[in-house]
Parts: sequence; structure tokens; C-alpha cells
Amino acid sequence: MQVTVLIIEDNRDNYYLMQYLLENKGYKVLGADSGWLGLEMAIHNTPSIILLDIQLPEMDGYTVLRRLRSNPFLSGIPIVVVSSYAMTGNKEQALSAGATGYIEKPIDPLRFADQIESYLKA
Amino acid sequence: MSLSPRRMAQPDFRRSSGFSSLRPSLHRVLAYILFMMVISHMGGRVVKVGIYMNPPKVYWEEGGEPSGIFVDILDHIAAAEGWQVEYHKDTWENCLSLLQDGSVDLMPDVAYNSERDKVMDFHQNPVLYSWTQIYVKRGIALNSLLDLEGLRLAVLRNSVQAKLLQGLFSTPADSSRMVFASSFDEVLALVRDGEADAAATNFYFGRMNARKYGLEETDILLEPSTLFFAAKQGYFGDILNAIDNHLNQLKSIPDSYYYQVLNKYVFSSNKYSLPRWSILLALSLIFALLISILIGNIFRKQVRKRTAELHKANLEMEKRIEQRTEELAMAMHKAQVADMLKSAFLATMSHELRTPLNSVIGFTGILLKEMPGKINEEQSKMLSIIQGSARHLLSLINDVLDISKIEAGQLDLHYSNVNLYSLLENAIQLVGVQAAAKGLNLVFKPGSEPGDITVDERRFEQVILNLLSNAIKFCDEGEVSLSYTVKDKQLYLMVKDTGIGIPPEKQSKLFQPFVQVDMGINRKHEGTGLGLFISRRIMNLMGGDITLESEVNKGSLFTVILPLKNGGIQCK
Repeated sequence: MQVTVLIIEDNRDNYYLMQYLLENKGYKVLGADSGWLGLEMAIHNTPSIILLDIQLPEMDGYTVLRRLRSNPFLSGIPIVVVSSYAMTGNKEQALSAGATGYIEKPIDPLRFADQIESYLKA
Repeated sequence: MSLSPRRMAQPDFRRSSGFSSLRPSLHRVLAYILFMMVISHMGGRVVKVGIYMNPPKVYWEEGGEPSGIFVDILDHIAAAEGWQVEYHKDTWENCLSLLQDGSVDLMPDVAYNSERDKVMDFHQNPVLYSWTQIYVKRGIALNSLLDLEGLRLAVLRNSVQAKLLQGLFSTPADSSRMVFASSFDEVLALVRDGEADAAATNFYFGRMNARKYGLEETDILLEPSTLFFAAKQGYFGDILNAIDNHLNQLKSIPDSYYYQVLNKYVFSSNKYSLPRWSILLALSLIFALLISILIGNIFRKQVRKRTAELHKANLEMEKRIEQRTEELAMAMHKAQVADMLKSAFLATMSHELRTPLNSVIGFTGILLKEMPGKINEEQSKMLSIIQGSARHLLSLINDVLDISKIEAGQLDLHYSNVNLYSLLENAIQLVGVQAAAKGLNLVFKPGSEPGDITVDERRFEQVILNLLSNAIKFCDEGEVSLSYTVKDKQLYLMVKDTGIGIPPEKQSKLFQPFVQVDMGINRKHEGTGLGLFISRRIMNLMGGDITLESEVNKGSLFTVILPLKNGGIQCK
């Protein structure tokens, strides 16, 4: 079955970057540019993996993360936080809120798709 | 019971009776009937739908048109398929029996279960997912079902939620904690009025109405269900298939009509995030507050001065002390606020700078890798320059961030046991390319006993890499070496080069921020000038230090001193 990746990211350029790298890998990519839309798209499309930004309009990434994790339909989907926040504790906070992994921006374009693949297998 | 046809050009008899004095002639009536037959033929099939009140999924305003998520979506599909939808308003129970005897064809908002599957047909792709959600007064934290213990729960009498929660809390003492209401509105009102502690309603109702009652949703979700259109069994397979096809398509497009409808009913009344301008407003309010405190303070000082003149000398003394204390407290407060703003500013700036850099570094990498297509040598060279500059910019941002963390006392160390030998070997490998490019000899001289040390691995590695790459940067021929020894429960790690060296008068300045020895316009060495400053502060935080011995044109020796936590290297 084709892998479907849902990217919740409000910066269009960053979204296009990840979309390009993942489609190049043969994945199907869906996008949402706000927290609530991401939540809805996740509920209605059941993606194989979710990539989540932290700073989002309307509902921040941590809230989206908690909602995704407490939703019985979605609790099994790996969620990787891809964020520009690099202060102490951002990664720990994401992982304790239920994230499967944390990738700090800027991403490494040559490794990114493989990193995502490894979270899919884990 | 009333049939209310929508969307179709049906004759409006009320209006025509208003003109009854005109008495239409027979051929006019015949022509009208013929016209109506043509219209209804073009209109395609009629779908009769039984609806009931369950906002925001299905409902109608007093005397108004049916609306709600299911209604809007069905109308959308009907318009595309050319169906004519007739809505029949009634109660939930009556609609169910009308569906059985064939008076209506379709019902919205039916939760799937195996009993219903025996008597009705469902389509495949659910219109909505729903679940029971728990609501509490603002500011109360409920994280799991266990937190509900001992609380009074408001539920709708004979509802799914009542059955569910009674099942969960089955002892008689627990069931006395249930507070029953006769409508979902009343359920929320009970909590608002303090007659219950938590309310259980379906997600859609709660989402739309909880805020009106000053309540907040919790993360507790129960009893998920899938909601469909249900049809009388065996007759409407084509309609259900068409609904599925539309839903599949609508759901996979982010800004489709489907999500617009969800947004309209579920989210639009509910956006309570802070818009950007409000943050700006808050900041300017803080600023205004500070100014007004300042001005207030100035006035107060003037008044005090006048009063003090009237007082005796001893009182004057006291006043002065008090005044000084107040000024001091004020200055403290201002400094604290400024410090907080600075930290927040730096964190935000780091985030805001990283986001565009992500695109620059990302796409440059893609182009250089020739993923979208071939590039020529010239283009490759230019892209490499962009890549190098972007990485340099990134290391600047990281350094500035490190400094702000150090100054704010936020640089937390995470200690773990690390194998010294492999950590150093790894560092040597990382700078190997850099040394080879300059034709330098890079030497690793391991000390006597390779073993484990207790250290913050990432930060310790950062220090070693910084010293090694500095050595390589400022050394044009000869060798750069790394060695270590243990003495008096301290680890001494030496990075030595045969480079340009540092004159004695400049050695002490070297560990200050933004300093390179050669600071002239024709500065030939790239770098932020922050690395050594950061490295030494990191070592200080670990209880150690970095020292320097150097001679011009002979080379430099940087020594990292680390007190060993367990008194020495633990041999494996």
C-alpha cells in the first residue's frame, strides 16, 4: 500500500520542501496549514505518518499532538515533530506530549526522506 | 408533519392564490402542468430524507430551512448528482420508523452498529467521527478517566453517555454521583451552576456550546463512533455509492466544501487563539505600563523631595533610604522584565530565522543533488556558495542562541557515561576532511587508559570540535594533534597546532565574545568569534576550564581541563 504522509505546516516554502523530498521518495503527501485542519485531515484520511510543526495558527502543535494521541482512531500513527524551536526543552516537551520523533529545522535534504522512512518502520 | 421541498422550482400556491382574481384560463393551466412535468423530469430523482434536531449535525431554525453538517453535505452531493431532496422534519424515533415503512428513503447522522446494520444499509466512508467528550469549568485539569473519580458527572438521561459512564462506575456509591438532565444544554448548565463537576456530551454539541457555559473541553475521549447516512435496506445502493464517491473525493482535498462545512459549523464559532496583533498589543501595554510606572515614580520622587524639606533632618535620612530601596526595587523589576523580554525575543528570533533558512538550505541541497535536473559547473559552484553561506549563517544563529542560553542560565547539562576514546575518535573523523583539504597532518594520541567518563556528551563534543577546527583554521602547514592524560582526578585534553600563534597581549582577549586576533578589514579567517567564548563557558559550567599557551609563528596549545566526577576514568 502507498505510504500517505500528512504534513501540518503553515509555512508554504517549508511545506513544499518536505513535499518535494517525500514525493520524490514515492510517498503520497497531504498538507494542512493550521492545527485544526491538520486534526480533521488526520481523522478523515488516516495517514501512515504525520509530520507536525509546533508554531501553527489557531491551535499550536503541542495541542494538536495531545488531541491526536488521545483520539482512539489515531493513537497508533507515528507523529514526527519538525520544528524550528531549538531552545532547551523543546524536544523533551514534544516527546513527552507523545511525539514519536523530533527533527530540528533546518532539515538535511539528503537524509530527510530516509529519516521519515525509519520512523515508519519503527 | 410537513414536507419541505428545497432547491427546486416548485409552484408557490400561496402566492398564486393571492392573484386568484385573475382566474387563469384552462390552456394556461394545462401549459403549466406540462411545464412542471418537464421540470420534474429534468430534476432527476427525488430523495426523501427524514431529519430531526441534533445541532450542529442536523437541525432547523424555527420555521426555517434545514441546515447542519449532514444537510449541507447532502445538498452539495445532490446538486452534483441532480437529485431533488425533500426534507421531512420529525423526531429521531419517528424518523426511524418512517425509514422502515418506506415513507423516507434516507436518514442522516446514524451511528453504525451491528444491530442497525441488520435493518438498514450504510455507505462505507463515514461522514463524521464522533465521540463522547468530558467538559469542565475553565482552569480545572482533567487528564484521564481516573481523575473523574469522586466528581459529580452531569449526563443526559437515557443517553449514550449516561449508559457508558454508569457502566464505567458501576458501584451504587458511584452512580449516586451522576446528575441527570433532560437536554444537552441543561447538562452544561449544571456544571456552570456548580451542581455538577464535569459534563459528558457528544463532541460536536460540546464543541459548539461548551464555551457559552464557561466550560472547557478536556482531553478525555470515550466511545468513538462513526456516523453515516442510513437508507432503507435493499433499495438505495446507488445513492449510497454516490455519497461514498463524493466523500472520498471531498475528504482528500484540504479546502474542499466538506472542510468548509466543518469549519463553518464546528470551528468558526470557536476560534479563540491569540491573533498576532494581540501579542503586539500586549507587548505595547507592558511597555506603556513600564513608562507609566516610571513617570509615576518621578512624580512621587518630586513630592517626596518637597515633603522632605519640611521634615526634620533625621526623618530626611530615613526617607532617603526608603527612596533608594524603592529605586533599587524598581530597577530590579525593570531588569527582570527586560531579561524576560530578551530571552523571549531571542527564542522567537532563532525560530523566525531558522524557518526561512530551512528553505534555503533544503532547496540548495536538492538542486546540488540534481534531483529536479542537471545543472552546469558554474551553477553548481554558485549553489555551493549559497549553501556554505547559509550554513555559516546557521552556525551564527546557533552560537548566538548558545550565548543567550548561557547568559540566561538556561544551558542545562545532561550528564551520561561516555566512552572517551570513541568520542575523541569520532571528533577526529569529523574534522578529517577539513584537515586533509589544507594538507595538514592530523594526529590522535590516545592516553594510557581508554574508559568511560561522566559528561554532557553533546556539549563536550562541541568544545573539542571547536578547538580542533580552530586549530586547523589557523594552521597552514605542519600538524594538529589531540592527546590526553589524567592527573589528580582531572582530565587534561590537549589540542596542539603548529600554526600562526597568538601574541601574549592578545591571549587574554581571546575568550571574549566576537573576538578574533586579526580583526582588521582584511580578516582572512571566517568565523563568528564566539566559539572560544562559548567553549570556555561550557567547561566552566562543568567545573572545568580551558587554558592557552602560545608563541607567535610556532603554534598554540589549548588545554581542556575536566574534573572527573567519579575520581578517575573507569576502565572497562
